[in-house]
Amino acid sequence: MSKIIVCFKWVKAEDDLRIDPATLNVDLSKAKGKISEYDRNAIEAAKLASDVSGGEAVALTYGAADAKASLKDAMSRGPKQCYWVNDESAENADGFITANVLAAAIRKIGDYSLIVCAEGAADTYAHQVGPRIGAIMDIPVISFVKEMKLEGNKLIAVRKLENSLEQVEVELPAVVTVLPEINAAPIPGLKAVLDAGKKPVTEFKIQDLELDKDDITRKTEVSSFKGCSMSRKKIMFTEGDAKERVNALVTALKKEGVL
Amino acid sequence: MAGIYVYSDNSELNGELIALARTSGQEVCAITLTDADAEEIVKYGPDTVFTLKGQNTIAESYAGAMAKLLTDQDASVFLVGATVRGRDIAAQVAAKVRCGLISEAGSITFKDGAVQTVRFMYGGLTEQTESCSSLTAVTVPSGKYQSVRNEAIKSVVVSMTVDTDPRVRLLGSSPIVKEGADLSKAKRIVCVGMGFDRKEDLKVAEDLASSLGAEMGCTRCIAEDRGWMPASTYIGISGAVVRPDLYLALGVSGQIQHTFGVRDSKVIVGINNNDKATIFNVADYGIVGDLYEIAPLIAEAVKNN
Repeated sequence: MSKIIVCFKWVKAEDDLRIDPATLNVDLSKAKGKISEYDRNAIEAAKLASDVSGGEAVALTYGAADAKASLKDAMSRGPKQCYWVNDESAENADGFITANVLAAAIRKIGDYSLIVCAEGAADTYAHQVGPRIGAIMDIPVISFVKEMKLEGNKLIAVRKLENSLEQVEVELPAVVTVLPEINAAPIPGLKAVLDAGKKPVTEFKIQDLELDKDDITRKTEVSSFKGCSMSRKKIMFTEGDAKERVNALVTALKKEGVL
Repeated sequence: MAGIYVYSDNSELNGELIALARTSGQEVCAITLTDADAEEIVKYGPDTVFTLKGQNTIAESYAGAMAKLLTDQDASVFLVGATVRGRDIAAQVAAKVRCGLISEAGSITFKDGAVQTVRFMYGGLTEQTESCSSLTAVTVPSGKYQSVRNEAIKSVVVSMTVDTDPRVRLLGSSPIVKEGADLSKAKRIVCVGMGFDRKEDLKVAEDLASSLGAEMGCTRCIAEDRGWMPASTYIGISGAVVRPDLYLALGVSGQIQHTFGVRDSKVIVGINNNDKATIFNVADYGIVGDLYEIAPLIAEAVKNN
C-alpha cells in the first residue's frame, strides 16, 4: 500500500522566548523545541488514516540540527519511520522554501497516497505550506479539514469555513490540511516512546533533493524581528476598599468614553 | 494591466481590500467569480474587474486561473482576504507563480514599487517586518481597513472563461449554527476565564455584561476543556479575534494565545485575584481582587452612573 506522509515542524516553545523590554530584541537561544501543537493532530490523523487504508504512515520534517530531537517524538505518535531534511537553511526558510523542500523530499520518498499537514504552524501560523505542496506537485488540496474518511481510492472530507461546513471528495493522491479539532492526539505511552527509538530514520541533505538555487532562496526580505510591545496604560487601582477601587475604575472608563 | 489585484470570497472584505489597494496609487483590479459579485464589487470603484468563469463551483479550483491572470497581467501585489478559502487560494497561487506569501499581515504599506508588511509570530509575542519588490501575495484579515463606496469610477468589467481544477468535487454544504454573539462586531465584551469555579457562577459575568450592554466571550479552556460556553465565543489566536471599545477580563490569566485576540481593543480591563497574572501586563486598568466581589460592584456602579 502507498504511504501516508505527514509533515511536521519542530518549533521553539513560545513560553521560552526572552524579550528584552527595553530593546524588544528576541532571544530564541534558550527556547526549547517542541512539535508544533497543530502537527500533533496531523500526525494522529495520518496514523488513523493508516489504520484504515493499510498504507504506512511516515513522518517528514525539514529542520536544522536541533530537530533531531523531534524524530523520536514524532514516531512515538504512530508513524513507522521518519524522514528528515537536515539543513541549517530551515532556520530562515519562508513558506516558499519550506514547501519546495518538502515537495522535493516527498518526490524522493515516492509511492504516497496521502499527504497530511496541519492548517498552520505554532510559530508562524502562516497557513501556507500544505496548499503550496499540493500546487507544486500538482496534487489536489483539501484544506481546513475537520473530518475525513478514506474509501478505497477516494477521500471524503468535511471542511470548516467561516459560516458553513463543506463536504468534498477527491481521488488520491491528495494533500489535506487538518484542523486541531479533527482528533484528540493522545500523549504517547511509555511503550510507544520506547518503540520509537527502534524505528528507522532517513536523513536527506538539501543537495540530495535536486532543487535549484531559486527554490531555496527566500522571496521576502526580513528587515526586523522584534518583540511586540502591548503599550497599555497598566494602571492598577489599589487604593481603598473594593467599592472605592471599582468606583475609580468606572470613573476612568467613563473618561475613556467606553461606558 | 499591472497593478494591485484583490480577491476575497467575502463581499465586505472586497471593499476593504480595494480601499487598501487604493493607498498604493497603482491600478486596482478585482478578481471575482460571478457576475453578481462583479456588480457588487464595482460599487467600491476598482479600475477593472476580472470575472473568471469556470466549471467547478469551489473557489479554490480557480487558483490556477488566478495565477495565470496575475502572470499575464504582470500584477505587482495579490491581496487576498484572510478567510479560510482565501488562505488556501493565496497559498496555491503563490506556489504556482513562485512568489512569496505574507499571511495575515497586520500592517501593509506600499512604497517605491515595494510592499512592506508587519505580521505577528509566536502567538503575537513577536512581530516580523518583511518587504518584497517583486510580485507578492498577502492575506489581509477583515476589519483592518474601512471600505469606501466609490461609484464615480466606472470600472471596466472583463469576463473570461477559464479552466478550473475539476479534481476536488463539492458534495454538499451545511450552515454552521452559531451559538452566542458575533464577537467580532461587539462594542463591549466581558470575557470569562478559568478564575470561575463553577458553570453556575457565570451568572456573575452575565449580570455584569447585561449592565454594560456587553457580549460574553471566554477563553479557550472555558469552551473547549470545560464546555461551559460555545466554541464560537472563545477569543484567541485560534478563535475569535475581537476589537471592542471595552474588553473586560474576569478571572483570565492572560496567556498570549488569548491576548492575541484582544490586542486591538481600545481599552483592556483585567480583574484577577493573582497580582502576578499576565493579564495586568497587557491591561489599561486592573483590579486585584475576588471577581465574585468585584464584578457585582462594577455592575452596580455602572447602573448608578
